[in-house]
Amino acid sequence: MSTSSTPEPHGPTAGGTGDQDPARASDRPPSGSQTPGRWGFFTGRSGLVIPLLLAAFATYLVVGNLTMSIPKGADFPGPTFFPWFLAAVAYVLAALLVVHYLRHPEVPAETSGRTYTTFSDWRAIAWCVGGFAAFAVLLEVLGWVLAAGLLFWCVARGIGSRRAVFDLVLGLVVSSLIYLTFGIGLGLPLPSGVFGLFAGGN
Amino acid sequence: MDQLIALFGGFGGALSPMNLLWVVVGCLLGTAVGVVPGLGSSMAVALLLPLTFALDPTGAFIMFAGVYFGGLFGDSTMAILMNTPGQGSAIASTFEGHAMAKSGRAPQALATAAIGAFVGGMIASTVVVFLAPKLADLSAEFGPAEYLALALFAFVATSSIVADSAVKGLASLVLGLGIACVGIDSFTGTERFTMGVPEMFDGISIVTVTVAILALGEVFHVAARIRRDPEGHEMRLSGRPFLSRAEFREALPAWLRGTAIGLPFGIIPVGGSEVPTFMAYDVERRLDRRRPDPQFGRGAIRGLAGPEAAGNSTTGMAMGALLALGLPVSSTAAIMLAAFQQYGLQPGPLLFTRAADLVWALLASFFIAMIVLLALNLPFASLWAKLLLIPRPYLYAGIMVFCGLGVYATAGQPFDLFLLLGLALVGFAMRRHDVPLAPLMIGLVLGPLFETSLRDGLLSSDGDYGVFVAHPIPVIIYLGLLVVLAFVVRAKLRARASHDL
Repeated sequence: MSTSSTPEPHGPTAGGTGDQDPARASDRPPSGSQTPGRWGFFTGRSGLVIPLLLAAFATYLVVGNLTMSIPKGADFPGPTFFPWFLAAVAYVLAALLVVHYLRHPEVPAETSGRTYTTFSDWRAIAWCVGGFAAFAVLLEVLGWVLAAGLLFWCVARGIGSRRAVFDLVLGLVVSSLIYLTFGIGLGLPLPSGVFGLFAGGN
Repeated sequence: MDQLIALFGGFGGALSPMNLLWVVVGCLLGTAVGVVPGLGSSMAVALLLPLTFALDPTGAFIMFAGVYFGGLFGDSTMAILMNTPGQGSAIASTFEGHAMAKSGRAPQALATAAIGAFVGGMIASTVVVFLAPKLADLSAEFGPAEYLALALFAFVATSSIVADSAVKGLASLVLGLGIACVGIDSFTGTERFTMGVPEMFDGISIVTVTVAILALGEVFHVAARIRRDPEGHEMRLSGRPFLSRAEFREALPAWLRGTAIGLPFGIIPVGGSEVPTFMAYDVERRLDRRRPDPQFGRGAIRGLAGPEAAGNSTTGMAMGALLALGLPVSSTAAIMLAAFQQYGLQPGPLLFTRAADLVWALLASFFIAMIVLLALNLPFASLWAKLLLIPRPYLYAGIMVFCGLGVYATAGQPFDLFLLLGLALVGFAMRRHDVPLAPLMIGLVLGPLFETSLRDGLLSSDGDYGVFVAHPIPVIIYLGLLVVLAFVVRAKLRARASHDL
């Protein structure tokens, strides 16, 4: 489409069709310095995380293939045969996806009445992810009841509950009920953690 | 006749008080999870999968049948009442179903959906009873070439049909196939991509990936959007959900047509019941246009009856294909396959001889589950909608706790919890950017079969790729794949042309 592929010095904001232009990929402004913060290069292009993920995974496969210790005398389609193929396909797909996301940035459906700047509610996600990470770390230390109660509290808070004390009590009730039903009733191996210390006699 | 005798034996096994209890519990739980917005039937199975490890295999699978079909009923309840389909397969039901609800006929819409699902499921289960043993006999002769062709068909069809862009579908598929490679290689005993972590020697558990992608990632997605999207409106329900004789007569042909459309898609791996439900909807709409008084757009009962019957008949047949061929055609079937593998059972031709009791009890429990679900849903559909009164924060907090419970209980080590979290973030990113998740699940489950068949075939032929097209069955499958692809390309081109107008 465009004949000018050389990076131009930044003029005023790009003209009408510039948005769809792949050539724009070459003039990468230091994010947010030229344009008012909200409309940087990456606005609507957060989808690039998908090809990034794919390429990272392909690289993991390549590194794994190169460092694999293959027993001698393995016949032709060895253990690295299929992963090599996958890695190659993954790189090609990642490249295609980069082109796709550069050419089709996401345009917000309607901006009126929006009070938020990012599409995703990162605060809510942080509470959920953080809560689960804490749960994974603390599970075997604190035991099921406390760790799961804490997880419940974090997620409830992240999704918008504001009754901190009530949520904590509810979380502990839920986790205790699960412990009784699945741990003691059905015999699933749930860690008792600090409570186990008190009941350690048995 | 052998099948009938075996089926009666199956009923004998399934009708024990304990197993009956599991069917009812499964139906209740499945419907409950399906009703919750954002959660579909495959998530219902994924979430409840680990909880059944405390049960014996027969009880567990009977409960699964209930969860599986219950989730489908719950999906369509929400599609009708709130216009929020829990799963792709319920989208087609929202069009006319929600229109019916808006015009004050919500009870009739729910009844149409429930009876449609019942009709489709019952007919499909009957077909499975007679067809599955024959399929199993046929597939007993399958070698690497045949399985490779089937897996390839599933891969290509799933990632090209379900996805809006084939590239995104394939990206998802490659991730799934790659995850399936992790662990000790079964041919040479080589450690692959484990980074020396002992917890990864056995590979990444399908349960962990499923819960991560379909449950935990989904909760992250809900959390990311819950203060962004306007809330759905619940329709008020008045009156009893029964159909008048005229309505029944109106819907009956659509139920039967929908069932007929859905049946073949249980065996053709195109990624679940999304395609047949839309096809059934389309057929009913075309037929409607020829009538003197077209009903579509204003809540046509047939526009709901067709897709509902199609969805459940596909699901029923898919279970047959899973049992007889060991081939999952949807992500829910993939999770069921994982459940079989957890018990050390491999679905496929040998299952009918090795675990006949289990198979026939499971098939019998399909029929029981259908009847239980009809009884639960026809009179009480409006009660299910009351589940929405649980405050959202507690609902999703509870689901997160269950995800943690399930994965820790099956893996027995905290390592899988971290893996779960990482994969859930991947699932969330994919969900956020409209990358379909079904191909990942299909790739994960069929990846080992694909790779094994590929290497088996090449090893036996000394690297000659011709071995994969040396027999008629694989060639027929590849030709079928070409036909499917031609249809997809034609539909996409057409959509693009109409988009430009």
